[in-house]
Amino acid sequence: MNRVAVEKSVLSENNRIAAELREALRATGALALNFISSPGSGKTALLEKTLELLPRPTSAVVLTGDIQTDNDAQRLRRYGYPVQQITTGGACHLDAAMVEDHLRGWPEQDFEFLLIENVGNLVCPTTYDLGEDAKVVVLSVTEGEDKPLKYPGIFRKAELMILNKMDLLPYVPFRLDLARENARRIHPEIEIIETSCTTGAGLRQWMSWLADRARKKVPAAPLAEAATSQP
Amino acid sequence: MHEMGIACSVLEAVHEELKRYPGQRASKVGLRIGEFAGVDPESLRFCFEVIVRSSQPTPLVLEIAFAEDSRRGDELEFAYIEFEDVGGEALA
Repeated sequence: MNRVAVEKSVLSENNRIAAELREALRATGALALNFISSPGSGKTALLEKTLELLPRPTSAVVLTGDIQTDNDAQRLRRYGYPVQQITTGGACHLDAAMVEDHLRGWPEQDFEFLLIENVGNLVCPTTYDLGEDAKVVVLSVTEGEDKPLKYPGIFRKAELMILNKMDLLPYVPFRLDLARENARRIHPEIEIIETSCTTGAGLRQWMSWLADRARKKVPAAPLAEAATSQP
Repeated sequence: MHEMGIACSVLEAVHEELKRYPGQRASKVGLRIGEFAGVDPESLRFCFEVIVRSSQPTPLVLEIAFAEDSRRGDELEFAYIEFEDVGGEALA
């Protein structure tokens, strides 16, 4: 019997496709965000508000994942942007191949934003790289403020935490300071924005974050230019 | 919840790796799992046993270790594979 070290990711095929997607998005400068939360935290409502508030003309496309139904895609299509529903038929997360399949053949290839709403689940989607620039975790005040401690993986990987449904804060025993503290225990650098999609509170800050994040990502320089700019 | 998918990915990765070692049969596969990998080891072990039993005639043991280095918390690594020499009759 002999043992051979392999030392590669179990999800190397998913990661290969994600790397290809990331490279394609880098070439165009499009910003891709992967929204992850429990079911019912308000991902779709946040995306509705985002599409409503995006300055025109902005080119954005949306992929929205659910186990069944295209209800979310129907909601999101009302804002005039291309939306595709990914119905996983039982899978509890999106993977890079699903994103690639749904982007392929889409007439809109030249977009500035790719917004991916993952299946409502704080565990499984965390494991699968979709080629995104950043993960955004949405936590609503109707949930427990200890979610970051119970599900550390996503809070560790997310660049931004949206604390949503802030309008309900007076009616629930949610400790905002503790939620923020818990998130920063897991991920000290995580950015936090408080929003309410009902009252509109915090949405200006969210849209500024989105615009700043897009500005940080500039299109890759063509190879010839990159070569001539070398000292 | 997604451990069946992970188990399938592990078995696919084993088959892929075996192409490099003709005449060998895999008897054990080692995984290294980070603290934040989001994978339940017991569930993964169960799923892996089920798909091995249903897809191939020979057993394949899954050995799971936890990554000790906290910087590798996201890790879900196919760490190693152990072989038995079957004289050119590799079955996985």
